[in-house]
Amino acid sequence: MSSKDQQTYPLPELSAFTRPFWEGCQNKELKIAVCGQCSHRFMPGVPNCPKCWSADFSLQAVSGRGEVFSFAVYRRTYHPAIPAPYVVALIQLEEGPRLVSNIVECAFEKIHIGMQLEVCFQEEDGFMLPRFRPLETPPVDTN
Amino acid sequence: MTGQAVIGGIGHTAFGRLPERTAFDLEVEAARRTLEDAGLEPQDVDGLITDPGPSQGILDGITPHYLALGHYLGLDPSYTGSDILGGASSAAIVQRAVLAIEAGLCSVCLCVYGDSALSSPGSFGYGRGDDAAFGLFGAVGIHALAARRHMHLWGTREEHLAAVAIAARAHAARTPHAQKRDLLTLDEYLAADSIVEPLKRPDCCLVSDGAAAVLVVAAERAADLRHKPTRILGHGQASSLSTWSSLEHFDELPAARCGPETFARAGISAADVDVAMLYDCFTIVVLMQLEDYGFCGKGEAGAFVTEGRIGPGGELPVNTSGGLLAECYGGGMMHVIEAVRQLRGTAGDRQLDTPEIALVTGHGLGMNTHSTLILAN
Repeated sequence: MSSKDQQTYPLPELSAFTRPFWEGCQNKELKIAVCGQCSHRFMPGVPNCPKCWSADFSLQAVSGRGEVFSFAVYRRTYHPAIPAPYVVALIQLEEGPRLVSNIVECAFEKIHIGMQLEVCFQEEDGFMLPRFRPLETPPVDTN
Repeated sequence: MTGQAVIGGIGHTAFGRLPERTAFDLEVEAARRTLEDAGLEPQDVDGLITDPGPSQGILDGITPHYLALGHYLGLDPSYTGSDILGGASSAAIVQRAVLAIEAGLCSVCLCVYGDSALSSPGSFGYGRGDDAAFGLFGAVGIHALAARRHMHLWGTREEHLAAVAIAARAHAARTPHAQKRDLLTLDEYLAADSIVEPLKRPDCCLVSDGAAAVLVVAAERAADLRHKPTRILGHGQASSLSTWSSLEHFDELPAARCGPETFARAGISAADVDVAMLYDCFTIVVLMQLEDYGFCGKGEAGAFVTEGRIGPGGELPVNTSGGLLAECYGGGMMHVIEAVRQLRGTAGDRQLDTPEIALVTGHGLGMNTHSTLILAN
């Protein structure tokens, strides 16, 4: 991350590997990568399939639904553009891959592992970030 | 494979807030003390391996850490390098020194950790690549995610995390050079500020300025040493670099592979370990390692630590000098040094009753790296 200006929101630095994913987000599309050789599904941002090392993969838009794999509530501010409190979560997408994001539009005490979520895109400094909020009509909770 | 290299010297500086000292100044002092402890001279040193700590790494955009330190120490070693495995580095550079000595590349290898992390603010609160866009800063966030998983999977409670912090402070109370020598009560723990929930301030390691070093020496030079050498029964490493895409990443550490494999190579089991110096950047990592090394079953570490087993007088004393949580942030090298002191019998008020085998671990980055040493007197 750039530390040029501590007040500026720490947006991703687009690289050849990550650009297609983030361009999808700008169009409000969450995409994963699917390997053409072994069908492994993984988060984009890498030059080849991490399972079989094939460079033959394509990006596909996904449902945007997932569940909380784990979450952490930041009570301390580490960056002035991201004031605490906020929730960082690992989201397990319905399609398999896992990503780091935030949980928004939800009281902290209601968040739990396994909670059903859906993606929502929120703008920071003109850049769309994929965040997650509780699924509107959650399926029956089997917990 | 093992038995050809021993630890022949240890040395460290004061730890704490030392704004008038640079990291190199501290590292040079630690190196000098280590040679004094060993009874050897600078011209005996023919190997230099360094752990640059969290705030150094590559200097001036081009100068590697070992080059700068080697310059200050006036060394022209036969073997050198720096390892950047985060908190796994200190044990890993001792391992690398053993490998270099066994391969005949050098015979007296200085292994140095140092940093001025406290006087270089922000070095522990770095953003984690593109994930910083979601506010994932510092090692604490990753470990909070792991702690939440442990609580979810195994019913681990904050009282269990507290027990690790309380034991660390009880050990540090007997350690003259420790930064936090006051005892911690459960009520104080529960009332402490959250940093990143579920982790509170006492769950997080100290940040320190300071340096520590050990000298790994070919066994045939043992007669030249001032102290009885510490034997190295085994060493290991394992990593999980695939990170988020690994399904196990948050539920077990690479220690689950490194531990049993290293025990097997050393010909011992967890039951043979008399004292464990477990890398303890956060309390949760101690719980996970107790399970991953097989001191208790998976999910049982919470109950294990609350029964007083890891504190002073416990059946498995852990981090008898207080560790990263209460002694100082010594990279992981202070864990090696405390193991050597216990095995030599020079640990002062906190000396255990004739320990024979000590486990030392290192754990680093986003729970990616792990290293293991098994030391014996």
